[in-house]
Amino acid sequence: MVSFVDETAGMYAQPTQLIRHEQVAPGYHLLEFDCPQIAAAARPGQFVHIRVTSSWEPLLRRPFSVMGTNKEEGSFQVLMRTVGEGTQILAEAQSGTEFNIMGPLGNGFALPGPEGEVILVAGGIGVAPLIFLATALHEPNNYRYVRGLFGARTEDDLCCWLEFSGACDEFNGITEDGSVGEQGLVTDFLPPQLERGAGCLYACGPALMLAEVAKQCQDAEIPCYVSVEQQMGCGVGACLGCVIPIHASGTQRYQRVCKDGPVFDAQIVDWEAIRRGCTPG
Amino acid sequence: MAAPQVDLSVELAGLSLANPVLVASGTFGYGTEYADLVNISRLGGICTKTVTLEPRAGNPPPRICETPAGMLNAIGLQNPGVDVFISEKMPALRELGVPIIVNIAGESVADYVSLAERLSDCADIAALELNLSCPNVKRGGMEFGIRSELTKQVVAAVREVTKLPLIAKLSPNVTNIVGIGEAARDGGADALSLINTLLAMSIDIDRCRPLLANVTGGLSGPAIRPVAVRMVWEVAQAVDLPIIGMGGITSAADALEFIMAGATAVAVGTANFVEPTVAERIINDLESFCQQTGVAHVADLIGAAHSSSDAGGLP
Repeated sequence: MVSFVDETAGMYAQPTQLIRHEQVAPGYHLLEFDCPQIAAAARPGQFVHIRVTSSWEPLLRRPFSVMGTNKEEGSFQVLMRTVGEGTQILAEAQSGTEFNIMGPLGNGFALPGPEGEVILVAGGIGVAPLIFLATALHEPNNYRYVRGLFGARTEDDLCCWLEFSGACDEFNGITEDGSVGEQGLVTDFLPPQLERGAGCLYACGPALMLAEVAKQCQDAEIPCYVSVEQQMGCGVGACLGCVIPIHASGTQRYQRVCKDGPVFDAQIVDWEAIRRGCTPG
Repeated sequence: MAAPQVDLSVELAGLSLANPVLVASGTFGYGTEYADLVNISRLGGICTKTVTLEPRAGNPPPRICETPAGMLNAIGLQNPGVDVFISEKMPALRELGVPIIVNIAGESVADYVSLAERLSDCADIAALELNLSCPNVKRGGMEFGIRSELTKQVVAAVREVTKLPLIAKLSPNVTNIVGIGEAARDGGADALSLINTLLAMSIDIDRCRPLLANVTGGLSGPAIRPVAVRMVWEVAQAVDLPIIGMGGITSAADALEFIMAGATAVAVGTANFVEPTVAERIINDLESFCQQTGVAHVADLIGAAHSSSDAGGLP
């Protein structure tokens, strides 16, 4: 498959100004940064690695999928949920604050083949890269008919659903508590979509959701690509900290989310090992 | 008036380094990962990710987690094995134009010997760094670095089969680091790297389970720096071998602590993940420090804090 990613495009690490900060739901923040190089180079599925402080505590950078770019203004957006010390610093940051940002990093989504419609399945904060992808799939050169499914726990967690639905030709919103849209898990609503057929499916969300999406796609024989998360160190493939297990032996057993991913063909991922890792005990 | 010329070069185990700032094994891959971001030719040298005789898959994830001013890792020596290292990694490494120090680890003395033999036949390797201190593997690894008789045995066995300079990388997870340093010296090491990571762990209280799949991992980052400086100080006092000091270095000031404690060179590790150009910044700031303080040669600062002069002050 052809990739969106321009392999010759470089990556950058530079001071980058936060130019827009909007709390879009309780605990969710939309951040826009001024960086023409990343705005020009970033492709759907790629991520940026943000240093949240100029001190060494907290130590590591935080990775965020790019949610969209504004090439005219030379800016890009990320969607963030406050989960810990690093994201709390970003949540409190005022417009005008500078952060050192590396990016764009990783392999983005491969372009779908010319045949068939495209299904996008988002879980919670995993909607961010799929908004970018849906937008790209409505550009004249890449145009595809896009059916979006977006599931989250509550209405608040169905964050940026308007942006996502606006970039899809069909949209289905689902919450676990039924506070908005249909009630249930996003994967409960996937079988009829797969029965309608599709050329390709892309998903991003919690690991257990991705495992279920991958299984359903395999049964339906529909190509499935997933964007996965993992605790990350360097972001450039050097530290080997952010691996996931894949179906292979020897040194190929683990691949790096930052460099070999974050997008993987769902068929190569060892979902059983991932399920075991997600289950306490 | 132009700033006075400063000589940053140091001699270490027969190597001439343009400056004393290396990047530490496991934190800089095989050199090429950072090529887009870092002017690698400025580095004093690169210690490559540990290579073993056979390929290793490494440990299951999660392999890393953040801790106060530090991080834990339990990578488990994932690497493609020495054959692939020589055929696929060395060609790009030797193009970088800086000394390449190849870090090796084995499960047995025989593994270390075989690795040293294979790598001795490979052109453009400046030195071997013996990893006697990996806390994250079941066999070998740290075992060799926490018992002085094993340290001496493995260094001596490798010494017999290679003319390459040998650097023993020691574990901090011992009660008497000086004894291990002496054992490495007695085995024939040309230099010592101090320190590898500290054995540690974190617990995920939401899952009520260890955070790392390997349960324990190695602590690195600024959190360990005072421990590392202390160990360099102690070993420098007792063992007449050059030392590469490492452990949480993020600035020229940190590097100077190690040098003044007795390190001939330093290696930057975890900080590379956070600020890929950190080594270059440290080199520039070391030069500025020497200019501002009138130190003509950075080597004059090695062990300077051991001076018996009551007044202290720079040499």
